[in-house]
Amino acid sequence: MAGQGFTKVYNLSGGISAWEGETAQGPVGLHLDLVRGDEPPGEIIKLAYAMERGLGGFYTKIKGIVQDPALSNLLGTLISAEEKHKQYLLTTLHEIAAGKIDREAFEAGLSQKIMEGGFEGEELFEKNRQFLETTSGLLDLAMMLETQALDLYLRFVGKIEGSEAKDVLYRIADEEKAHLQSLGKLRDQYA
Amino acid sequence: MLDKLKRLFTPVEALEPHQVRDFINQHKEGTYTLLDVRQPREYEGAHIPGATLIPLPQLYDSLNELDPDKPVIVY
Repeated sequence: MAGQGFTKVYNLSGGISAWEGETAQGPVGLHLDLVRGDEPPGEIIKLAYAMERGLGGFYTKIKGIVQDPALSNLLGTLISAEEKHKQYLLTTLHEIAAGKIDREAFEAGLSQKIMEGGFEGEELFEKNRQFLETTSGLLDLAMMLETQALDLYLRFVGKIEGSEAKDVLYRIADEEKAHLQSLGKLRDQYA
Repeated sequence: MLDKLKRLFTPVEALEPHQVRDFINQHKEGTYTLLDVRQPREYEGAHIPGATLIPLPQLYDSLNELDPDKPVIVY
């Protein structure tokens, strides 16, 4: 590559085996059917908002059934983070639309079943019950979901055609990256 | 001619995992490329979020899919 015009090429020493950060799973095409490819930026934001809302709903459901106060507090923190993400997306949409967005009308048209990373809440809940019993387990699950979400937004970029929509996806991905770093620090506290 | 020769022998810098992690955290998405040159099955098992998969045997023919002006981190 270095001989083909690529001026800055770096190699990850040790390869993926040496990687200590979060990893995503699944094939390249996983959940890419959630986008057509020709979406304008506003539709991308709508999809991301639906996924954030779905995850917030997932955490809210768990909060409604846990007894442990530490778990309940942590879930409150995770729910707040999703609310901030939703607000960020609405702000971005305001910028693009150059006008006020009616939040109620916007939310009324969203998919009910989807959540971050393309998962569906009920299925996720049933498959991951054992992680929902401890704070560290819950944080591991949260980091897995956010990692899959980050990966999905960046894989969307390859399918999306418009440069403005791609830019929106990069901005959302940067938010997810920052969120993952916060979750990592939170996990260190609860470890 | 000299430029071509220089490019052929330009070394690839190895980055330790923590250096790659710092690079990713310090750079906005869309300003660099993370490139996975393994096979699809390996990618499926685990990959760094956002990595573009181009298996090594197909890499030469697929270079035009990548932006040469962006830094590339390969694994």
